[in-house]
Amino acid sequence: MKVRVDPEVCQGHTLCAMAAPQVFTLSEYDGHSSAPVEEVAPELEQAVRDAAATCPEQAIIISE
Amino acid sequence: MTSVEGDKEAPVHYDRHSPDYIDHFDDITHELHSKCPIAWSDTYGGHWVASGYKEVFEIARDATLLSNDHDFRGERKSYQGITIPSQPGRASRGGFLEMDPPEQRDYRRILDPYLSPAAVARWTPMVEDLTRASLDERIETGTIDFVDDLANIVPAVMTLAMLGLPLVDWVIYCEPAHAGVYTPPDSPDMPRVIAAGMAMGQRLAESVIDVRRNRWPGMVDALVTGQVCGAPISDDDIRDTVILLIGGGFDTTTSLTAHSLEWLSEHPAERDRLRADPHGLLDSATEEFLRFYTPAPGDGRTVTREHELSGKRLEEADRLWLSWSMANRDPSVFPDPDDVKIDRKHNRHTSFGLGLHRCIGSNVARSVFKTMLSAVLQRMPDYRCDPAGAVHYDTIGTINGMKHLPATFTPGSRLGAGLDETIAHWQKVVADQRLAEPVVRGAQANDSVA
Repeated sequence: MKVRVDPEVCQGHTLCAMAAPQVFTLSEYDGHSSAPVEEVAPELEQAVRDAAATCPEQAIIISE
Repeated sequence: MTSVEGDKEAPVHYDRHSPDYIDHFDDITHELHSKCPIAWSDTYGGHWVASGYKEVFEIARDATLLSNDHDFRGERKSYQGITIPSQPGRASRGGFLEMDPPEQRDYRRILDPYLSPAAVARWTPMVEDLTRASLDERIETGTIDFVDDLANIVPAVMTLAMLGLPLVDWVIYCEPAHAGVYTPPDSPDMPRVIAAGMAMGQRLAESVIDVRRNRWPGMVDALVTGQVCGAPISDDDIRDTVILLIGGGFDTTTSLTAHSLEWLSEHPAERDRLRADPHGLLDSATEEFLRFYTPAPGDGRTVTREHELSGKRLEEADRLWLSWSMANRDPSVFPDPDDVKIDRKHNRHTSFGLGLHRCIGSNVARSVFKTMLSAVLQRMPDYRCDPAGAVHYDTIGTINGMKHLPATFTPGSRLGAGLDETIAHWQKVVADQRLAEPVVRGAQANDSVA
């Protein structure tokens, strides 16, 4: 699984970092999210799916 | 509601300011969802009401389609901002929430570094101590009003601290910030509310001058020294922005906290569950209370061009109400939407808005709410709210709020200094440690974002 956050769509709701803190990093400046490591470890896949389903802006893009 | 076509030929009659709206909210929401999730209402001069999640999601994130502009001078298209009914004759706008890009973007660029998760985290010790002191004032008596004695106080002091304004002034700002929202325009109380509002405005103007002179760190300093569209910010815009930050910072967090405490009192088994597992449940419970109570229930917009939405034709200059509160009850996104489930997953609620106007204070709201809730659960675990004493706002059209929430509990012990002494202590810490500085400075923070 690969994951990335669309920076044009993310608005800094921070729910992804609550669901999968190991995967998503929040900007100190505005709280917008990014996934520094694109490849998702198997044990984190469900948390990433949860994060994607929880994003109000639907900014998280997963490719399986 | 009678007609269920929900178009301009056969409008619905949706009046969220009516006194009985609060009692019929669930039914009205279900009816609109099932019949016309985007509906033209004949109220307030005529406006669209977007209640379906799909509809709100589709249009709210497009700031080129929906304008927030409040063009009270008629210099552009005379759009009327985010309040429905609009306020003709009002010669001011609601800060950057009534602006569009590029102006709006510059305000967010200036203020985001004061309100990011990293910035908010630095205030945690103060928020915890203010909460402790507020509870200490009541802990030995066995009685408390969760609004007057806690939920009104901590958000107010925190907001002033981040603004860089004197913390003791929270009492001057608090009453008008709340009463200005919940007092109906024709109420006999209105003159008193207006007078309190003017005292607040006066104090604010003096404080802005003090910040200019002394360069006290904080968001007022950022506004005083910042540039928007290449120019300094006018005194009027500074004032309006601060009023927006106060309006966003006070009433909403107070409302969320009061409603949540009331609900937990009515559901003691769920309260026990939450108390036993904050690590597992506090985050999800917070998002669920946000979804269910939606303290800021919606915002108005103006449609900028023709757009087809779920079979309805939106036209340029149409007014539109984005109902966050009704979208948050959409069963296609939230199973059993009218039930509070403190472990709800995939809770993509719209309570902080969608798109580039996402509430700038969302990280503050979550942090202050969680701190207050956790402290009450820990120090007053058996509190019981008095249903006869709970006072909700008469109208929830603007903010879904509460005025009073009295409760009783088994008395406990004070842990530290009282509220006034604690506020004085933190005023000194704020000054000495320059706590209200933004977390990030430098090229990235100052570059203009196109």
